[in-house]
Amino acid sequence: MADKKPPEDALSDLRRRVDAARGDGASRNALAQSPASLAFRFGGEFGAAIIVGALLGYGADYFLHSSPWGLVIGFGLGFAAGIVNVVRVAQSFNNANPPNPNAPSIPDDDD
Amino acid sequence: MSNDPIHQFHINPISEPIHFGALDATFTNASLFMVAGVGLAAGFMWWAMKPAAVVPGRAQVVAEGAYSFIHSMVKDAAGEEGVKRFFPFVFTLFLFIFAANMLGMFPYFFTPTSQIVITATMALMVFFTVIVVGVAKNGFKFLKLFVPSGVPWYILWFVVIIEIISFFSRPLSHAVRLWANVLAGHLVLKVFAGFVPMMAAAGGVFVLGSILPLGMTVALYALEFLVAFLQAYVFALLTCIYLNDALHPGH
Repeated sequence: MADKKPPEDALSDLRRRVDAARGDGASRNALAQSPASLAFRFGGEFGAAIIVGALLGYGADYFLHSSPWGLVIGFGLGFAAGIVNVVRVAQSFNNANPPNPNAPSIPDDDD
Repeated sequence: MSNDPIHQFHINPISEPIHFGALDATFTNASLFMVAGVGLAAGFMWWAMKPAAVVPGRAQVVAEGAYSFIHSMVKDAAGEEGVKRFFPFVFTLFLFIFAANMLGMFPYFFTPTSQIVITATMALMVFFTVIVVGVAKNGFKFLKLFVPSGVPWYILWFVVIIEIISFFSRPLSHAVRLWANVLAGHLVLKVFAGFVPMMAAAGGVFVLGSILPLGMTVALYALEFLVAFLQAYVFALLTCIYLNDALHPGH
């Protein structure tokens, strides 16, 4: 009988059943982000890298008196860093939301 | 004035001016609502967990749910070691931002997270924690964060520069995301709400038409509740991802 067990056993039994019902618990947490917030994240990462790159270049100009080359190069490097950021976000999003393997394939114009 | 959508972001002192040397520490409406946010989060947790019952009541389920929600998030993003070191930090950040956002949903209340000073302070706190913990734990190996493996040497210097810029852009995008979402949401809400009295005052057929912005305001309010939670969650999640870099540098 369940109520004859000592309380510790009943508790650990409950714990086990709760864990089993929850499954692994690893991906239970994958909260669906709204498309707008994802788009905002892409834009934010891209813009932030450009601003930081340009600021670093501007700072280099200030100390090295090389204006405007530091700003120009920093701007370009910031642009590259922004692309890197965006690719990273997209990668982590794809890892968190793998495409459905059973999804119908979309016909390609080239085929 | 009452229709000015910027008016809600004005910071007004509510105490006598307080100065520590050059530092202006006057208690403002922003300070008041930050204290209220901390008080709400801490007070709720204390009150909800007071019974500490084996079979939890309603409030305790909410408190334990919030705890295990953030606990599993930290565990997924930063592993067991991340939980051991950073869980209190992340949980505190999440509860504070969530409480501040939710308090800001009341009309006439101030929203601390709509000030970039406050979100940037939290983002820089995370940024410096990453650097300090990363260097203390890994020493020079922390610099591996900037040197991805498997890159040929002739473009490595270029990649390192880009990685450094990318690293320094983190606190900016981290802070701006929370701030801009809250700011934009509150602005749009106020603009649409402002249309209602304007159309009602215009008279005639516009009085009937004023129902449209009213409905929009109600819909946006619901959206803002989602944003209030989601942005607190996203801020905490990004904190975990960045802290994970401090524990495990190198890609």
